[in-house]
Amino acid sequence: MSAAVVAGGGRTEPVVRLATSGVARSFGTEQALAGVDLDLHAGEVHALVGLNGAGKTTLMRLALGMLHPDAGTVRVDVGDGPVDPVGAPSATWGHVGHLIETPFTYPELTVRETVRSAARLRGLDRTAADAATTRVLAELALDHWAERRARTLSLGNRQRVGLACAVVHDPKVLVLDEPSNALDPAGVVRVRRWLADAADRGAAVLVSSHHLDEMARVAHRITVLHRGRVLGTLDPAGADLERQFFDMVYEEEDAVDGAPAPAHTTTPTSPRSAA
Amino acid sequence: MNAALSIEALKLYRAPAARVATAVLVLVLPAVSAAMVAVARSDSDSPLVAKARPMLIGTGWDAYLGMLAEIVSVATLLAVGIVLSWVVGREFTEGTVGALLALPTSPRQVLRAKLVVTLIWALGCGLVATLVAIPGGLAIGLGAPDAGALRATGRLLVVSGLMTLLALPLAWVSTVLRGYLSGISTLLGIVVITQIVTAAGAGGWFPYAAPSLWAGMGGADAAAAITPVQLLLAVPVGLAGAWAAMHRWQTAELV
Repeated sequence: MSAAVVAGGGRTEPVVRLATSGVARSFGTEQALAGVDLDLHAGEVHALVGLNGAGKTTLMRLALGMLHPDAGTVRVDVGDGPVDPVGAPSATWGHVGHLIETPFTYPELTVRETVRSAARLRGLDRTAADAATTRVLAELALDHWAERRARTLSLGNRQRVGLACAVVHDPKVLVLDEPSNALDPAGVVRVRRWLADAADRGAAVLVSSHHLDEMARVAHRITVLHRGRVLGTLDPAGADLERQFFDMVYEEEDAVDGAPAPAHTTTPTSPRSAA
Repeated sequence: MNAALSIEALKLYRAPAARVATAVLVLVLPAVSAAMVAVARSDSDSPLVAKARPMLIGTGWDAYLGMLAEIVSVATLLAVGIVLSWVVGREFTEGTVGALLALPTSPRQVLRAKLVVTLIWALGCGLVATLVAIPGGLAIGLGAPDAGALRATGRLLVVSGLMTLLALPLAWVSTVLRGYLSGISTLLGIVVITQIVTAAGAGGWFPYAAPSLWAGMGGADAAAAITPVQLLLAVPVGLAGAWAAMHRWQTAELV
Protein backbone atom coordinates (compact mmCIF):
# COMPACT_ATOMS: atom_id res chain seq x y z
CA MET A 1 0.00 0.00 0.00
CA SER A 2 1.50 3.35 -1.04
CA ALA A 3 1.93 6.03 1.60
CA ALA A 4 -0.04 9.16 0.80
CA VAL A 5 -0.74 12.64 2.06
CA VAL A 6 -4.12 14.33 2.12
CA ALA A 7 -4.31 17.09 -0.46
CA GLY A 8 -6.88 19.83 -0.91
CA GLY A 9 -10.45 18.63 -1.23
CA GLY A 10 -9.73 15.50 0.74
CA ARG A 11 -7.85 13.90 -2.16
CA THR A 12 -4.87 11.78 -1.19
CA GLU A 13 -1.64 12.21 -3.10
CA PRO A 14 1.31 9.87 -2.96
CA VAL A 15 4.49 10.96 -1.22
CA VAL A 16 7.06 11.30 -4.00
CA ARG A 17 10.46 10.10 -2.86
CA LEU A 18 12.25 10.23 -6.19
CA ALA A 19 11.44 12.07 -9.39
CA THR A 20 13.21 12.47 -12.69
CA SER A 21 12.11 14.94 -15.32
CA GLY A 22 13.41 14.92 -18.87
CA VAL A 23 16.62 13.24 -17.79
CA ALA A 24 19.08 12.63 -20.59
CA ARG A 25 22.56 11.23 -20.53
CA SER A 26 25.03 10.19 -23.21
CA PHE A 27 28.33 8.36 -23.09
CA GLY A 28 30.29 9.60 -26.07
CA THR A 29 28.03 9.12 -29.07
CA GLU A 30 25.87 6.59 -27.24
CA GLN A 31 22.62 8.06 -25.95
CA ALA A 32 21.90 6.08 -22.80
CA LEU A 33 18.87 8.08 -21.67
CA ALA A 34 16.81 10.42 -23.82
CA GLY A 35 14.44 12.38 -21.62
CA VAL A 36 13.09 10.09 -18.93
CA ASP A 37 10.26 11.09 -16.61
CA LEU A 38 9.78 8.80 -13.67
CA ASP A 39 8.59 9.00 -10.11
CA LEU A 40 8.76 6.74 -7.11
CA HIS A 41 6.31 6.89 -4.24
CA ALA A 42 6.66 6.01 -0.61
CA GLY A 43 5.22 2.60 0.11
CA GLU A 44 5.51 1.21 -3.41
CA VAL A 45 7.74 -1.08 -5.39
CA HIS A 46 8.28 0.49 -8.78
CA ALA A 47 9.86 -1.89 -11.25
CA LEU A 48 11.97 -0.85 -14.22
CA VAL A 49 12.07 -3.47 -16.92
CA GLY A 50 13.95 -3.42 -20.17
CA LEU A 51 16.39 -5.28 -22.31
CA ASN A 52 20.13 -5.09 -21.75
CA GLY A 53 21.33 -1.59 -22.58
CA ALA A 54 17.89 -0.05 -22.11
CA GLY A 55 19.29 2.49 -19.65
CA LYS A 56 18.05 1.04 -16.35
CA THR A 57 21.39 1.12 -14.56
CA THR A 58 22.23 4.57 -15.91
CA LEU A 59 18.89 5.90 -14.68
CA MET A 60 19.51 4.43 -11.24
CA ARG A 61 23.00 5.90 -11.05
CA LEU A 62 21.60 9.29 -12.01
CA ALA A 63 18.97 8.93 -9.30
CA LEU A 64 21.76 8.35 -6.79
CA GLY A 65 23.95 11.22 -7.99
CA MET A 66 26.68 8.85 -9.14
CA LEU A 67 26.29 10.24 -12.66
CA HIS A 68 25.37 13.75 -13.68
CA PRO A 69 22.58 14.29 -16.21
CA ASP A 70 23.28 16.08 -19.49
CA ALA A 71 19.76 17.49 -19.32
CA GLY A 72 16.73 17.30 -17.08
CA THR A 73 16.45 17.12 -13.32
CA VAL A 74 16.55 14.48 -10.63
CA ARG A 75 15.19 15.06 -7.16
CA VAL A 76 15.30 12.89 -4.06
CA ASP A 77 13.07 13.61 -1.08
CA VAL A 78 13.51 11.67 2.13
CA GLY A 79 11.22 13.97 4.05
CA ASP A 80 13.26 17.16 4.16
CA GLY A 81 12.17 18.45 0.78
CA PRO A 82 13.42 17.52 -2.69
CA VAL A 83 17.16 17.82 -3.30
CA ASP A 84 19.45 17.24 -6.25
CA PRO A 85 21.28 13.97 -5.57
CA VAL A 86 24.49 15.48 -6.97
CA GLY A 87 25.90 17.13 -3.88
CA ALA A 88 23.00 16.10 -1.65
CA PRO A 89 23.67 16.46 2.09
CA SER A 90 24.83 13.42 4.01
CA ALA A 91 21.56 13.42 5.96
CA THR A 92 19.75 12.56 2.73
CA TRP A 93 21.94 9.55 2.04
CA GLY A 94 21.31 8.26 5.54
CA HIS A 95 17.81 7.39 4.33
CA VAL A 96 18.81 5.89 0.98
CA GLY A 97 19.98 2.37 0.24
CA HIS A 98 21.28 1.02 -3.03
CA LEU A 99 22.66 -2.03 -4.73
CA ILE A 100 23.90 -1.27 -8.21
CA GLU A 101 25.73 -4.11 -9.98
CA THR A 102 28.69 -4.98 -7.71
CA PRO A 103 27.67 -5.58 -4.08
CA PHE A 104 29.55 -4.05 -1.15
CA THR A 105 31.64 -7.12 -0.41
CA TYR A 106 35.36 -7.51 0.24
CA PRO A 107 36.88 -10.99 0.16
CA GLU A 108 38.94 -10.43 3.31
CA LEU A 109 35.97 -9.42 5.51
CA THR A 110 33.43 -11.74 7.09
CA VAL A 111 29.76 -11.38 6.23
CA ARG A 112 29.06 -9.81 9.63
CA GLU A 113 31.98 -7.39 9.30
CA THR A 114 30.83 -6.46 5.82
CA VAL A 115 27.26 -5.67 6.83
CA ARG A 116 28.40 -3.89 9.99
CA SER A 117 30.81 -1.80 7.90
CA ALA A 118 28.00 -0.89 5.53
CA ALA A 119 25.86 0.13 8.49
CA ARG A 120 28.63 2.32 9.91
CA LEU A 121 29.23 4.00 6.55
CA ARG A 122 25.47 4.66 6.44
CA GLY A 123 25.68 6.64 9.63
CA LEU A 124 24.79 4.13 12.35
CA ASP A 125 26.89 4.21 15.52
CA ARG A 126 28.63 1.04 16.73
CA THR A 127 25.80 -0.16 18.94
CA ALA A 128 23.09 0.51 16.39
CA ALA A 129 25.21 -1.03 13.63
CA ASP A 130 25.71 -4.23 15.60
CA ALA A 131 21.99 -4.55 16.32
CA ALA A 132 20.97 -3.73 12.74
CA THR A 133 23.50 -6.21 11.37
CA THR A 134 22.18 -9.03 13.52
CA ARG A 135 18.61 -8.19 12.52
CA VAL A 136 19.20 -8.00 8.78
CA LEU A 137 21.36 -11.13 8.70
CA ALA A 138 18.44 -13.00 10.24
CA GLU A 139 15.87 -11.43 7.93
CA LEU A 140 17.82 -12.42 4.83
CA ALA A 141 18.77 -15.83 6.24
CA LEU A 142 22.48 -15.04 6.24
CA ASP A 143 23.17 -16.05 9.87
CA HIS A 144 24.70 -19.34 8.80
CA TRP A 145 27.38 -17.51 6.84
CA ALA A 146 27.83 -14.61 9.27
CA GLU A 147 31.38 -15.49 10.31
CA ARG A 148 32.51 -16.65 6.86
CA ARG A 149 34.86 -14.55 4.77
CA ALA A 150 33.12 -13.12 1.71
CA ARG A 151 35.65 -14.84 -0.56
CA THR A 152 34.14 -18.20 0.37
CA LEU A 153 30.56 -17.25 -0.57
CA SER A 154 28.70 -18.23 -3.69
CA LEU A 155 27.76 -15.51 -6.15
CA GLY A 156 24.18 -15.64 -4.97
CA ASN A 157 25.09 -15.29 -1.32
CA ARG A 158 27.41 -12.38 -2.11
CA GLN A 159 24.45 -10.74 -3.82
CA ARG A 160 22.35 -11.32 -0.72
CA VAL A 161 25.08 -9.79 1.45
CA GLY A 162 25.05 -6.79 -0.89
CA LEU A 163 21.32 -6.50 -0.40
CA ALA A 164 21.76 -6.74 3.37
CA CYS A 165 24.26 -3.87 3.17
CA ALA A 166 21.81 -1.79 1.14
CA VAL A 167 18.95 -2.20 3.60
CA VAL A 168 20.71 -2.49 6.97
CA HIS A 169 19.84 1.11 7.95
CA ASP A 170 16.14 0.67 7.11
CA PRO A 171 16.13 3.30 4.34
CA LYS A 172 13.16 5.28 3.09
CA VAL A 173 14.37 5.01 -0.50
CA LEU A 174 15.80 1.84 -1.97
CA VAL A 175 17.36 1.62 -5.43
CA LEU A 176 18.13 -1.94 -6.43
CA ASP A 177 19.56 -3.00 -9.77
CA GLU A 178 18.58 -6.60 -10.45
CA PRO A 179 18.73 -7.62 -6.78
CA SER A 180 17.78 -11.22 -7.46
CA ASN A 181 20.74 -11.79 -9.78
CA ALA A 182 22.35 -15.18 -9.18
CA LEU A 183 19.93 -16.04 -6.36
CA ASP A 184 18.45 -19.50 -6.11
CA PRO A 185 14.63 -19.81 -6.17
CA ALA A 186 14.44 -19.72 -2.38
CA GLY A 187 16.59 -16.61 -2.33
CA VAL A 188 14.42 -14.95 -4.96
CA VAL A 189 11.30 -15.59 -2.90
CA ARG A 190 12.98 -14.36 0.28
CA VAL A 191 14.12 -11.12 -1.36
CA ARG A 192 10.72 -10.63 -2.96
CA ARG A 193 9.02 -10.96 0.42
CA TRP A 194 11.53 -8.61 1.98
CA LEU A 195 10.87 -5.96 -0.67
CA ALA A 196 7.12 -6.28 -0.21
CA ASP A 197 7.52 -5.92 3.56
CA ALA A 198 9.77 -2.90 3.11
CA ALA A 199 7.16 -1.22 0.93
CA ASP A 200 4.48 -2.06 3.50
CA ARG A 201 6.63 -0.27 6.08
CA GLY A 202 6.62 2.79 3.85
CA ALA A 203 9.85 2.43 1.90
CA ALA A 204 9.96 3.54 -1.72
CA VAL A 205 11.63 0.82 -3.76
CA LEU A 206 12.91 1.27 -7.31
CA VAL A 207 13.96 -2.09 -8.65
CA SER A 208 15.15 -3.21 -12.06
CA SER A 209 14.92 -6.65 -13.52
CA HIS A 210 14.75 -8.65 -16.71
CA HIS A 211 12.28 -11.01 -15.13
CA LEU A 212 8.72 -9.88 -15.75
CA ASP A 213 7.14 -12.70 -13.81
CA GLU A 214 9.17 -11.82 -10.75
CA MET A 215 8.30 -8.14 -11.06
CA ALA A 216 4.63 -8.96 -11.52
CA ARG A 217 4.67 -10.63 -8.13
CA VAL A 218 6.23 -7.77 -6.21
CA ALA A 219 5.76 -4.49 -8.07
CA HIS A 220 2.95 -1.97 -7.71
CA ARG A 221 3.95 -0.35 -10.99
CA ILE A 222 6.07 -1.53 -13.90
CA THR A 223 7.74 0.95 -16.25
CA VAL A 224 9.19 -0.25 -19.54
CA LEU A 225 12.45 1.36 -20.59
CA HIS A 226 13.89 0.87 -24.06
CA ARG A 227 16.71 2.65 -25.86
CA GLY A 228 16.84 5.21 -23.08
CA ARG A 229 13.16 6.13 -23.26
CA VAL A 230 10.09 5.22 -21.26
CA LEU A 231 7.76 3.29 -23.56
CA GLY A 232 4.92 2.98 -21.09
CA THR A 233 3.76 1.05 -18.09
CA LEU A 234 2.52 -2.47 -17.53
CA ASP A 235 -0.15 -3.46 -15.06
CA PRO A 236 1.44 -6.03 -12.73
CA ALA A 237 -1.94 -7.76 -12.48
CA GLY A 238 -2.36 -7.86 -16.24
CA ALA A 239 -2.30 -11.01 -18.32
CA ASP A 240 0.69 -12.15 -20.38
CA LEU A 241 3.05 -9.39 -19.36
CA GLU A 242 5.81 -10.79 -21.50
CA ARG A 243 3.76 -10.41 -24.68
CA GLN A 244 2.71 -6.89 -23.67
CA PHE A 245 6.33 -6.03 -23.01
CA PHE A 246 7.60 -7.29 -26.35
CA ASP A 247 4.68 -5.70 -28.21
CA MET A 248 5.76 -2.37 -26.71
CA VAL A 249 9.38 -2.92 -27.58
CA TYR A 250 8.69 -4.02 -31.18
CA GLU A 251 6.30 -1.17 -31.75
CA GLU A 252 9.09 1.18 -30.75
CA GLU A 253 11.59 -0.65 -32.94
CA ASP A 254 9.25 -0.40 -35.91
CA ALA A 255 8.76 3.29 -35.23
CA VAL A 256 12.51 3.92 -35.32
CA ASP A 257 12.85 4.05 -39.07
CA GLY A 258 15.81 2.03 -40.20
CA ALA A 259 17.16 1.51 -36.73
CA PRO A 260 18.61 -1.96 -36.34
CA ALA A 261 17.02 -4.03 -33.64
CA PRO A 262 19.32 -4.86 -30.71
CA ALA A 263 20.96 -8.24 -31.14
CA HIS A 264 19.12 -9.75 -28.18
CA THR A 265 15.71 -9.14 -29.77
CA THR A 266 16.56 -11.36 -32.71
CA THR A 267 17.51 -14.40 -30.68
CA PRO A 268 15.58 -17.62 -31.26
CA THR A 269 13.75 -17.04 -27.95
CA SER A 270 12.23 -13.81 -29.20
CA PRO A 271 8.45 -13.96 -28.83
CA ARG A 272 8.14 -12.42 -32.29
CA SER A 273 9.83 -15.43 -33.80
CA ALA A 274 8.09 -17.80 -31.44
CA ALA A 275 4.63 -16.38 -32.03
CA MET B 1 37.90 6.35 15.29
CA ASN B 2 35.29 7.23 12.68
CA ALA B 3 33.57 4.65 10.53
CA ALA B 4 35.59 5.04 7.35
CA LEU B 5 38.89 4.92 9.23
CA SER B 6 38.01 1.80 11.19
CA ILE B 7 36.77 0.00 8.08
CA GLU B 8 39.79 0.91 5.99
CA ALA B 9 42.06 -0.11 8.87
CA LEU B 10 40.37 -3.51 9.03
CA LYS B 11 40.67 -3.98 5.26
CA LEU B 12 44.36 -3.10 5.35
CA TYR B 13 45.00 -5.31 8.38
CA ARG B 14 43.50 -8.29 6.55
CA ALA B 15 45.22 -7.60 3.23
CA PRO B 16 47.91 -10.14 2.29
CA ALA B 17 49.76 -7.49 0.28
CA ALA B 18 50.07 -5.26 3.34
CA ARG B 19 51.24 -8.16 5.50
CA VAL B 20 53.99 -9.10 3.06
CA ALA B 21 55.04 -5.46 2.70
CA THR B 22 55.12 -5.09 6.49
CA ALA B 23 57.36 -8.13 6.87
CA VAL B 24 59.72 -6.79 4.22
CA LEU B 25 59.92 -3.30 5.71
CA VAL B 26 60.29 -4.20 9.37
CA LEU B 27 62.18 -7.50 9.25
CA VAL B 28 63.88 -8.11 5.92
CA LEU B 29 65.39 -4.65 5.48
CA PRO B 30 67.11 -4.47 8.91
CA ALA B 31 68.29 -8.06 8.47
CA VAL B 32 69.76 -7.36 5.03
CA SER B 33 71.45 -4.19 6.27
CA ALA B 34 72.93 -5.97 9.26
CA ALA B 35 74.16 -8.79 7.05
CA MET B 36 75.82 -6.39 4.61
CA VAL B 37 77.52 -4.43 7.36
CA ALA B 38 78.68 -7.64 9.00
CA VAL B 39 80.15 -8.75 5.69
CA ALA B 40 81.85 -5.39 5.09
CA ARG B 41 83.35 -5.42 8.60
CA SER B 42 84.75 -8.91 8.23
CA ASP B 43 88.45 -9.51 7.70
CA SER B 44 87.83 -11.55 4.60
CA ASP B 45 89.11 -10.34 1.23
CA SER B 46 86.37 -12.05 -0.74
CA PRO B 47 84.73 -10.28 -3.73
CA LEU B 48 81.53 -9.84 -1.69
CA VAL B 49 83.40 -7.95 1.00
CA ALA B 50 85.14 -5.82 -1.62
CA LYS B 51 81.75 -4.83 -3.03
CA ALA B 52 80.08 -4.22 0.34
CA ARG B 53 82.72 -1.91 1.84
CA PRO B 54 82.31 1.00 -0.62
CA MET B 55 78.58 1.03 0.09
CA LEU B 56 79.14 2.13 3.67
CA ILE B 57 79.50 5.76 4.63
CA GLY B 58 81.16 6.31 7.99
CA THR B 59 81.67 3.63 10.57
CA GLY B 60 79.80 1.75 13.26
CA TRP B 61 76.17 2.60 13.90
CA ASP B 62 76.29 5.54 11.48
CA ALA B 63 77.34 3.26 8.63
CA TYR B 64 74.84 0.57 9.58
CA LEU B 65 71.83 2.81 9.91
CA GLY B 66 72.94 4.77 6.85
CA MET B 67 72.93 1.56 4.85
CA LEU B 68 69.46 0.80 6.19
CA ALA B 69 68.28 4.30 5.21
CA GLU B 70 69.51 3.76 1.65
CA ILE B 71 67.59 0.52 1.32
CA VAL B 72 64.56 1.95 3.11
CA SER B 73 64.43 4.88 0.69
CA VAL B 74 63.81 2.59 -2.27
CA ALA B 75 61.85 -0.14 -0.48
CA THR B 76 59.46 2.29 1.21
CA LEU B 77 58.48 3.94 -2.07
CA LEU B 78 57.94 0.53 -3.65
CA ALA B 79 56.07 -1.04 -0.72
CA VAL B 80 53.90 1.95 0.13
CA GLY B 81 53.31 2.68 -3.54
CA ILE B 82 52.10 -0.85 -4.21
CA VAL B 83 49.94 -1.00 -1.09
CA LEU B 84 48.40 2.45 -1.64
CA SER B 85 47.72 1.69 -5.31
CA TRP B 86 45.91 -1.44 -4.21
CA VAL B 87 44.03 0.23 -1.35
CA VAL B 88 42.62 2.85 -3.73
CA GLY B 89 42.63 1.05 -7.07
CA ARG B 90 40.97 -2.14 -5.85
CA GLU B 91 37.66 -0.32 -5.53
CA PHE B 92 37.74 0.23 -9.28
CA THR B 93 39.27 -3.13 -10.21
CA GLU B 94 36.77 -5.05 -8.07
CA GLY B 95 33.88 -2.75 -8.98
CA THR B 96 33.04 -1.81 -5.39
CA VAL B 97 33.51 1.93 -5.86
CA GLY B 98 29.81 2.38 -6.67
CA ALA B 99 28.89 0.89 -3.29
CA LEU B 100 30.98 3.62 -1.64
CA LEU B 101 28.95 6.41 -3.23
CA ALA B 102 25.59 7.91 -2.23
CA LEU B 103 26.37 7.32 1.46
CA PRO B 104 26.33 9.64 4.47
CA THR B 105 30.09 9.06 4.49
CA SER B 106 31.27 11.12 1.53
CA PRO B 107 33.66 9.80 -1.12
CA ARG B 108 36.21 12.36 0.05
CA GLN B 109 36.01 10.94 3.59
CA VAL B 110 36.44 7.40 2.29
CA LEU B 111 39.52 8.36 0.28
CA ARG B 112 40.94 10.39 3.16
CA ALA B 113 40.53 7.35 5.41
CA LYS B 114 42.43 5.24 2.90
CA LEU B 115 45.27 7.77 2.82
CA VAL B 116 45.41 8.20 6.59
CA VAL B 117 45.39 4.47 7.28
CA THR B 118 48.11 3.85 4.71
CA LEU B 119 50.20 6.74 6.06
CA ILE B 120 49.94 5.49 9.64
CA TRP B 121 50.84 1.98 8.55
CA ALA B 122 53.83 3.15 6.50
CA LEU B 123 55.19 5.50 9.17
CA GLY B 124 54.68 2.76 11.75
CA CYS B 125 56.69 0.37 9.59
CA GLY B 126 59.52 2.91 9.39
CA LEU B 127 59.51 3.31 13.16
CA VAL B 128 59.39 -0.42 13.85
CA ALA B 129 62.16 -1.07 11.30
CA THR B 130 64.30 1.41 13.22
CA LEU B 131 63.57 -0.33 16.50
CA VAL B 132 64.26 -3.74 14.97
CA ALA B 133 67.56 -2.42 13.67
CA ILE B 134 68.88 -1.85 17.20
CA PRO B 135 69.14 -5.52 18.22
CA GLY B 136 70.45 -6.15 14.69
CA GLY B 137 73.31 -3.72 15.29
CA LEU B 138 74.05 -5.21 18.67
CA ALA B 139 74.04 -8.69 17.13
CA ILE B 140 76.74 -7.79 14.60
CA GLY B 141 78.92 -6.34 17.32
CA LEU B 142 78.50 -2.59 16.91
CA GLY B 143 78.36 -2.11 20.68
CA ALA B 144 76.12 0.34 22.48
CA PRO B 145 74.47 2.95 20.22
CA ASP B 146 76.42 6.24 20.19
CA ALA B 147 75.68 9.82 19.18
CA GLY B 148 76.14 8.86 15.52
CA ALA B 149 73.41 6.27 15.95
CA LEU B 150 70.96 8.92 17.10
CA ARG B 151 71.76 11.16 14.11
CA ALA B 152 71.48 8.22 11.71
CA THR B 153 68.18 7.16 13.28
CA GLY B 154 66.74 10.60 12.66
CA ARG B 155 67.88 10.48 9.04
CA LEU B 156 66.36 7.02 8.63
CA LEU B 157 62.98 8.16 9.95
CA VAL B 158 63.01 11.31 7.80
CA VAL B 159 63.83 9.28 4.69
CA SER B 160 61.05 6.81 5.49
CA GLY B 161 58.56 9.63 6.01
CA LEU B 162 59.52 11.49 2.84
CA MET B 163 59.30 8.40 0.66
CA THR B 164 55.90 7.62 2.19
CA LEU B 165 54.68 11.10 1.25
CA LEU B 166 56.03 10.65 -2.28
CA ALA B 167 53.83 7.57 -2.74
CA LEU B 168 50.63 9.59 -2.18
CA PRO B 169 50.20 10.77 -5.80
CA LEU B 170 49.69 7.12 -6.73
CA ALA B 171 46.26 7.37 -5.08
CA TRP B 172 45.37 9.92 -7.74
CA VAL B 173 46.86 7.79 -10.52
CA SER B 174 44.95 4.69 -9.37
CA THR B 175 41.76 6.76 -9.32
CA VAL B 176 42.16 8.43 -12.70
CA LEU B 177 43.28 5.20 -14.39
CA ARG B 178 40.73 3.16 -12.44
CA GLY B 179 42.73 0.29 -11.03
CA TYR B 180 45.70 -0.71 -8.92
CA LEU B 181 47.79 -2.10 -11.77
CA SER B 182 47.87 1.38 -13.27
CA GLY B 183 49.24 2.75 -10.01
CA ILE B 184 51.83 0.00 -9.76
CA SER B 185 53.00 0.43 -13.35
CA THR B 186 53.26 4.19 -12.79
CA LEU B 187 55.34 3.45 -9.71
CA LEU B 188 57.73 1.36 -11.79
CA GLY B 189 57.96 4.22 -14.27
CA ILE B 190 58.84 6.62 -11.44
CA VAL B 191 61.63 4.30 -10.28
CA VAL B 192 63.08 4.10 -13.79
CA ILE B 193 62.88 7.87 -14.32
CA THR B 194 64.51 8.43 -10.93
CA GLN B 195 67.44 6.27 -11.99
CA ILE B 196 67.82 8.17 -15.26
CA VAL B 197 67.56 11.60 -13.64
CA THR B 198 70.04 10.60 -10.94
CA ALA B 199 72.49 9.23 -13.49
CA ALA B 200 72.18 12.50 -15.40
CA GLY B 201 73.25 14.37 -12.25
CA ALA B 202 69.97 16.20 -11.62
CA GLY B 203 68.73 13.96 -8.82
CA GLY B 204 68.96 16.59 -6.11
CA TRP B 205 66.07 18.54 -7.58
CA PHE B 206 64.02 15.47 -8.43
CA PRO B 207 61.80 14.81 -5.40
CA TYR B 208 61.84 11.04 -5.81
CA ALA B 209 65.67 10.96 -5.90
CA ALA B 210 66.64 13.51 -3.24
CA PRO B 211 65.88 11.39 -0.13
CA SER B 212 67.85 8.42 -1.50
CA LEU B 213 70.82 10.63 -2.35
CA TRP B 214 70.66 12.21 1.10
CA ALA B 215 70.64 8.72 2.61
CA GLY B 216 73.92 8.01 0.82
CA MET B 217 72.84 6.18 -2.31
CA GLY B 218 75.12 8.35 -4.46
CA GLY B 219 78.03 8.44 -2.03
CA ALA B 220 79.13 10.79 0.74
CA ASP B 221 79.65 13.85 -1.48
CA ALA B 222 76.24 13.55 -3.14
CA ALA B 223 74.62 13.10 0.29
CA ALA B 224 76.28 16.24 1.63
CA ALA B 225 75.14 18.26 -1.39
CA ILE B 226 71.43 17.67 -0.77
CA THR B 227 69.77 20.74 0.76
CA PRO B 228 66.74 20.83 3.06
CA VAL B 229 64.74 22.55 0.32
CA GLN B 230 65.45 19.69 -2.08
CA LEU B 231 64.38 17.17 0.55
CA LEU B 232 61.22 19.05 1.44
CA LEU B 233 60.01 19.05 -2.16
CA ALA B 234 58.51 15.71 -1.20
CA VAL B 235 55.99 17.49 1.02
CA PRO B 236 54.21 19.55 -1.68
CA VAL B 237 54.39 16.63 -4.11
CA GLY B 238 52.75 14.30 -1.59
CA LEU B 239 50.16 16.79 -0.43
CA ALA B 240 49.29 17.78 -3.99
CA GLY B 241 48.78 14.13 -4.90
CA ALA B 242 46.57 13.53 -1.88
CA TRP B 243 44.52 16.67 -2.54
CA ALA B 244 44.07 15.78 -6.22
CA ALA B 245 42.91 12.28 -5.32
CA MET B 246 40.42 13.53 -2.70
CA HIS B 247 39.12 16.20 -5.08
CA ARG B 248 38.55 13.62 -7.79
CA TRP B 249 36.76 11.24 -5.45
CA GLN B 250 34.43 14.01 -4.38
CA THR B 251 33.67 15.57 -7.76
CA ALA B 252 34.21 13.07 -10.57
CA GLU B 253 31.89 10.36 -11.83
CA LEU B 254 33.67 7.35 -10.38
CA VAL B 255 31.37 4.66 -11.80
